[in-house]
Amino acid sequence: MTASFSLDWFFISLIFVAGLYGMMVSRSLLRQFISLEIMSKASLLGLISAGAKTGNLALAQTFIITMIVIEVVVVAAGLALLVKNYRLTGSIDVWSLNKLKG
Amino acid sequence: MTSSPGLLAYLLIPLFTAVAIPFAARFRTRMADVLANVTLLAGLLNLSLLLFDPANADSSFSAIPDDGFSLLMVFVIYLVGLCVTFFSTYFMEEGSGVARAPYFALIMTSVSAMCGIVTTGDFFTLYIFIEVLAVSSFALIASGERTGGLEGAIKYLLLTFPASLFILLGVAFLMLTAGTFSFEGVKTLVASGMPAGGTVFAVSLLLLGFLIKSGVVPFHAWTPDAYEGAYSPVSAFLAGIVTKIAGVYAVIKIAIILRLFDVKTCPAADILMFLGMLSIAVGAVAALRQNELKRMLAFSSISQVGYIVLAAGIGTPLAILGAIFHLVNHATFKTTLYLNSASLEKGAGTSDMTKLGGMEHSMPWTSWTSVVALMSTAGVPPLSGFWSKLLIIVALWDGGARIYAVLALLFSIVTLAYFMVMQRKVFFGKPTEASRAAREVRPAMLAPVVAMSVLIVALGVFFPYIYAYLVDTVAARIIL
Amino acid sequence: MTYHNLLFILVVLSAVAAVMARDLLLNALMLALVSVGTALLLFDFQAPWAGVFELSVCAGLITVLFVSAVSLIRREDGKVEDSRARFRAMPLVMGIAAIALWLYGIPFFEALENWSRFSDRTASLGTIIWDTRRFDLVGQVSMLAAGVLVIRSIFPRRKK
Repeated sequence: MTASFSLDWFFISLIFVAGLYGMMVSRSLLRQFISLEIMSKASLLGLISAGAKTGNLALAQTFIITMIVIEVVVVAAGLALLVKNYRLTGSIDVWSLNKLKG
Repeated sequence: MTSSPGLLAYLLIPLFTAVAIPFAARFRTRMADVLANVTLLAGLLNLSLLLFDPANADSSFSAIPDDGFSLLMVFVIYLVGLCVTFFSTYFMEEGSGVARAPYFALIMTSVSAMCGIVTTGDFFTLYIFIEVLAVSSFALIASGERTGGLEGAIKYLLLTFPASLFILLGVAFLMLTAGTFSFEGVKTLVASGMPAGGTVFAVSLLLLGFLIKSGVVPFHAWTPDAYEGAYSPVSAFLAGIVTKIAGVYAVIKIAIILRLFDVKTCPAADILMFLGMLSIAVGAVAALRQNELKRMLAFSSISQVGYIVLAAGIGTPLAILGAIFHLVNHATFKTTLYLNSASLEKGAGTSDMTKLGGMEHSMPWTSWTSVVALMSTAGVPPLSGFWSKLLIIVALWDGGARIYAVLALLFSIVTLAYFMVMQRKVFFGKPTEASRAAREVRPAMLAPVVAMSVLIVALGVFFPYIYAYLVDTVAARIIL
Repeated sequence: MTYHNLLFILVVLSAVAAVMARDLLLNALMLALVSVGTALLLFDFQAPWAGVFELSVCAGLITVLFVSAVSLIRREDGKVEDSRARFRAMPLVMGIAAIALWLYGIPFFEALENWSRFSDRTASLGTIIWDTRRFDLVGQVSMLAAGVLVIRSIFPRRKK
């Protein structure tokens, strides 16, 4: 079996679906963040696969390095919000975020 | 990489200020807001000299650097930024739980990031700056003592980060099928008439991401929560400019790139118009049912974004001009309204509309500036909001989407209706207990809203100048 | 290239495990496994620099962040009443998704592959980072500045 482009993308979409499913069914905020991370891994692999296909490997690597820097900051900010919310409300349940309604 | 290198300074200077603020605040805490205000004021003066030089009109704006759209957006960003920092300088006074130095530094970072978004000519750089903006707005929303802010911030994060991933996948497909990321490159590719199936698919993914970020109707769940829960001056910043730059700006850019008016077969245009109309309707109807002022304004914001997206969907040059002008107007009136709701919270102790009434007696300045802004939102003739809605509706009629034109007109009347109801409840009529006890806020907090109201009237009165600016710099240079 | 596909299968499986695991700590560790798999894939794609970053930053730093968040939360009521049935249904959903993607996704991606255009860029990584994408570096710098400020704003230092 050769590594073909469409097979790569088959797996990439599977990873993306796994993340999306996790985001939809999970009620724990932490698990939602983990699902988000999985989705972002999928798009990272998508970038490198597209880069390898078209001979843009160096460009794709630059993008991925930038993206990883961004990912770290986003995750840190998200976890900081989560921890602060946990300290104030004692819960990491998404469904407890229901004080604002209208 | 920038489409307009002359604007780079407007990005870098706020960034330097943001880095400098924590150090300066060590010596004196007040240095934080002084630095932020001075930086934004200097930038704003510089931009006003460039934009509103009367000699411009005679020379058909040849003094303006090439991209008129970016320049106008940078001006609006600085304007809203200055109003918000100036307002919060005085709003924050009574030892609230907000850390002063990080707060102002984050506002400066987001101003810088927004300038990055509007000056870049490249999709990946756009993604980077949008993430910077999103991260700094999480913290801004969560500042303040209420837990509502945290809730809004987490909801914003959970919706905006998947949207970024759609944008990234779009970038990946763009790398595959177009080999270029610059707006110009994609535009030539689409315009060259070659079968651009893959490229259009990639740009559609990008468009999906930006639509989620701008909060049009199927994706609007986070908007009211984030706006309501946020620290009050931050809601003005968020509603006035942040979400508009993060989402709507890019939608307009993509509409220009895709040349939707040429490629009418492209279903993206139909979807865009449908979603725009849906947001107008849902936003207006939901706004009618709200009791909390900030939440009602959030739904009205969704409805106004709908007008912009609808105009971007029809995609003719006139509609794009209308969309850009409506974006500017939206920034002016929504900032005024949110800052006034913050003043109401401070002066009367509540922003619940059922508890307020007859505010014109106790808080006359706040009331009358709100009335001006509300009338502009609803599109009452001499004010700026009227002209942009007129442009959009005329463009819809001309573009053949007559049903949409009529519906947009009808919902503009609904907007007027719910604002009338709200004015009746809050500003006029019998004073209630809360409003008798209310005090007008200090003059320094009124200055930004008064300036904005003057601007709303001025933009309406000097509409021919604005229109000439838009035609000469945007329509002639970018769209065609 | 069986190695390549096996790596992909490893990433998919650990992604499913990362979502399904009952224990929050196990979730975080499975995410680290996803990262390691991704890094190996990047090496396999001839992208060593990105692979190194992925391995050190994502598999290292982000895992540390997640694990410390888990240890802050875990003790008392970190357990959320998730309905386990939905998680148990996950392999089924993934199976359906895999079949659907095999039938409809692969022809679509093959069509996309035909659209692809090859670039003639031969610039090295360094040139691209420092010359072509210079504006991105400004973005990265402001991202890092924003990150520091965000943490300072969410956890303000108490004045004495």
